[in-house]
Amino acid sequence: MRNESLHPPKWPLKLLRLFIREQYLEEIEGDMEEIFFDNVERYSVRKAIRIYTWEMIKLLRPGLIRQFRFLNSFNRFGMLSNYFKVSIRGLMKNPLNSFINLFGLASAIGICMFSYAIFRWTYDRDQFHENKNSVYLVTAFAPRNGTMQEYGRTPRPLAESLQQDFPQIEKVCRVEDRNIVVKYHDQVFNERIRLVDPTFLQMFTFPLKWGAAESLKDVNSIVISEPMSEKYFGEQNPVGEILLINFDKDRSKEFKVVGVARKFPDARSMDFTFLAHFDNLRTSESDYNFHDWAAQLNATFIQVNDPKDIKPVLRGMTKYRQLQNEAVSEDFAIDSLGLEQLATLHIKTEDIRDDIFREGTKDNIASIAFLAAISILMLALACSNYINIAIVSVTKRLKELGVRKSIGATRKVIILQFLSENIVTTFFALLIGILLGRFVVIPWFEGLWYFSMDFKFGDVNLWIFLVVVMFFTAIASGIYPALYISRFQPVSILRGSLRFGQKNPITKVFLGFQLVLACVFITSAVIFTLNSDYLAEREWGYSNRDVIYAQLPDELSVEQLKNVMEENAHVISTARSVQHIGRQQRQVLIAFPSQEQEVDMLAVDGNYFNTMGVDIVQGRGFNEHETSDRQGVVVSQTMVERLRWDNPVGEQFKMDSVQYEVIGVVKDFHSYSFSSPLRPTFFTHADKSDYRFLSMKVEKGSMRESYEFLRKKWSLLFPESPFSGGYQEDVWGTYYVQLSIHGHVWRVFASVAVMLALLGVYGLVSLNVSSRKKEFSIKKVLGANIKNISNSIFQQYYLLLGFSLALGTPLSYVVIVAIMDFANAYHMNVTFWHVGLAAILLIFVLLGTISTQVVKVFKTNAVDGLKTE
Amino acid sequence: MKKTKLGEFEELVLLTVAALQSEAYGVEIKRELEERLKEKLSVGSIQSALKRMEDKGYLTSQFGEPTQKRGGKRKRIYATTSHGRKVLEEMKNIRAGLWSAIPKLAYEVKLA
Repeated sequence: MRNESLHPPKWPLKLLRLFIREQYLEEIEGDMEEIFFDNVERYSVRKAIRIYTWEMIKLLRPGLIRQFRFLNSFNRFGMLSNYFKVSIRGLMKNPLNSFINLFGLASAIGICMFSYAIFRWTYDRDQFHENKNSVYLVTAFAPRNGTMQEYGRTPRPLAESLQQDFPQIEKVCRVEDRNIVVKYHDQVFNERIRLVDPTFLQMFTFPLKWGAAESLKDVNSIVISEPMSEKYFGEQNPVGEILLINFDKDRSKEFKVVGVARKFPDARSMDFTFLAHFDNLRTSESDYNFHDWAAQLNATFIQVNDPKDIKPVLRGMTKYRQLQNEAVSEDFAIDSLGLEQLATLHIKTEDIRDDIFREGTKDNIASIAFLAAISILMLALACSNYINIAIVSVTKRLKELGVRKSIGATRKVIILQFLSENIVTTFFALLIGILLGRFVVIPWFEGLWYFSMDFKFGDVNLWIFLVVVMFFTAIASGIYPALYISRFQPVSILRGSLRFGQKNPITKVFLGFQLVLACVFITSAVIFTLNSDYLAEREWGYSNRDVIYAQLPDELSVEQLKNVMEENAHVISTARSVQHIGRQQRQVLIAFPSQEQEVDMLAVDGNYFNTMGVDIVQGRGFNEHETSDRQGVVVSQTMVERLRWDNPVGEQFKMDSVQYEVIGVVKDFHSYSFSSPLRPTFFTHADKSDYRFLSMKVEKGSMRESYEFLRKKWSLLFPESPFSGGYQEDVWGTYYVQLSIHGHVWRVFASVAVMLALLGVYGLVSLNVSSRKKEFSIKKVLGANIKNISNSIFQQYYLLLGFSLALGTPLSYVVIVAIMDFANAYHMNVTFWHVGLAAILLIFVLLGTISTQVVKVFKTNAVDGLKTE
Repeated sequence: MKKTKLGEFEELVLLTVAALQSEAYGVEIKRELEERLKEKLSVGSIQSALKRMEDKGYLTSQFGEPTQKRGGKRKRIYATTSHGRKVLEEMKNIRAGLWSAIPKLAYEVKLA
């Protein structure tokens, strides 16, 4: 009956042999084995193994485990309380050193806690959805510019077909977004509405503050978010109120508010402001075809009964590919359909082209790696301080050690003592660190970026993490000093013949390491600060100054506003366009006989280049006459480079099967911020009826005035619609603010790192000086001046400083270039001069720190130094 | 009574050892008790009860035969000592005395 190849698992047995008393071992082992084979017969092997393991663990109880000798050989409580007392006294006796240690460790722990908070915040994204594992986004893959691009937009009829064809699919949900104007009494705002199937609120479990999710089934109902509720109705419960919604100029409809979503969790990929039934598309558009495979909607979601069912669905979906590809032109043919699980969607949204998700977490994941590295480096800095100070300051405790050893303390006991003292110190540091993290670092960071990372102390993992950090730090910082100190013989200690601690090469190594790190941090701070100045000055490739713009709903309004604005004497020129640099560009696919390219397109009028200051470097721009140059395009230099045209003017390509010819080339300009690389872009001559933007070049210095004028005229012309427009300088929104935040963050980290290193140096130098007090006093009595004394103090640091800088500067250079390349597509040229600047800064603060000690030595009376003892 | 400290679970284990006679070793005791109590017991709880009672002198033990099923390890067969049996008897008498001390009426009322 017994299967020879079957064995109980090995490691629990090993655990047992290690801990159970020897005399019980044979019996218990036998019992366990017998039960194991009984269970194998009764249940599955896996369950038997599980029971076996768990039983083994439960066997570890006081009556059965061995008595371990080291725990028994002395009265633990008395000893530990003595250690505790000694550590507290030690902390009180050297306030400076204690401060350096505690403060250093606490800041490092604070930063660690902050990194953890960011980590948790990132990976908590969307985890509040109850159906996060069974809800999937349907995606489409299509080849673009040589790689496979994933799209979040999918054909309109796909949801219905999926629902009919797959029994595994429990629910489907279509999502379409539309721009609307919302009116409530005298309040009018531009908003965006999300039209969805009523299943939306069942799939995505956003809790409601007021009202019921089911009411969304009614086509006249609307659910709004909490900020919208406050915006329109204040603090009151708006359920039952009526909102008038204009889909466009001619179509409007009244909706009854049936629900208000509770404040959305901060860690979310998707939300809504206004939510209504999908069938409203029949009202909003006369020609919305629900069954057109050639048209797409913003998103399609499915929910399956069981996540395991997803494979057959994925396989079965391949049949839709043909349906889709028959309906659309060849350019838009897809390669395959895919599914993305809601739980992990946030990591991928960066790579999926979609319309409904907020910024993905991919960037955060990169910054978590950075932060983790920084946290570890900070811990390393703080630990180095600790080790250095511990080694040097132990000279003052040699007698204590000698006495402890001669009354019977073994080396193990001494190590245990030093480690437990360390744990006491680290524990205090942990307390301060938690306070620092919670009340300084996290609020600081949240304040910088205007977001809330929803930090809670209730998280069990946080405490596990902090305790692990504490023990790790305590042991990492304490193990070397403990081993080093416990090595000495009591006889030589008590005889007084032993002198050590001042010339330990290890302290030099740690100090050097700290200086190298400080060098890297200072360089980063310097470069990030200089870079944000550099980018602020960097040309955008067109004139973004003295230009204002407005976005309008239709061509007629554009003409009306244009006529009014041209009357103003400050306005030099105006231009109309369909898209606008920095605000909107269309991504189109252009075809050559041999290849396809995805590029950006802007449709503009003849005046646009002139008004926006886009320089034509070759060929010509568009003719002023509105019907000319229909087939002509003006391309950017990047596009010329990308397509490897030697002589761009006259080149041809096709778009939507219409032939276009290049008539001119413009200088490159940045439509997106400097963080993303230039994209190939071209201009076409816009059709008059499509005009949506009006841009105006105004006289220098009259920008604010003209902007006020624009706003005034707008409210006269279009009292019904909210103002939409702005300064061209502001089109990148918060980009410059973000840049300066990056600089700020690095400066803070650099300051902390430098401060830690300086504290370390200060502590070390002051210990060194105080132990040489007699020597200096004698020197002074014999007539040494400040130069002699400073020489003898500085002497031992020159070499160290030289070495650290020789290692630190090239390293800083490599690190900072890597970071800059990663963060910005366009950045300043980092030269050795910049790194040198950082090094000089470091040298100055370092020498300054050491000088404080020199001054102190010089000021003390030599007699005081000599009369001790 | 004071010197014979016997927990409820210990008492059950001790009774099982007495009942099983020469069959009383760890696995068998566990099996028997699980059947009677209708609940799962861990090896650890049985073993620590056995060891505790051996220390108190209610039980003795000696090695039995090794079997193949146990990977060649010997069983340890437990037997009650006369002291253990006396304690069990005492417990039983105390309980019986208490039961008979409950007035009949109260008992029946409770039951009804």
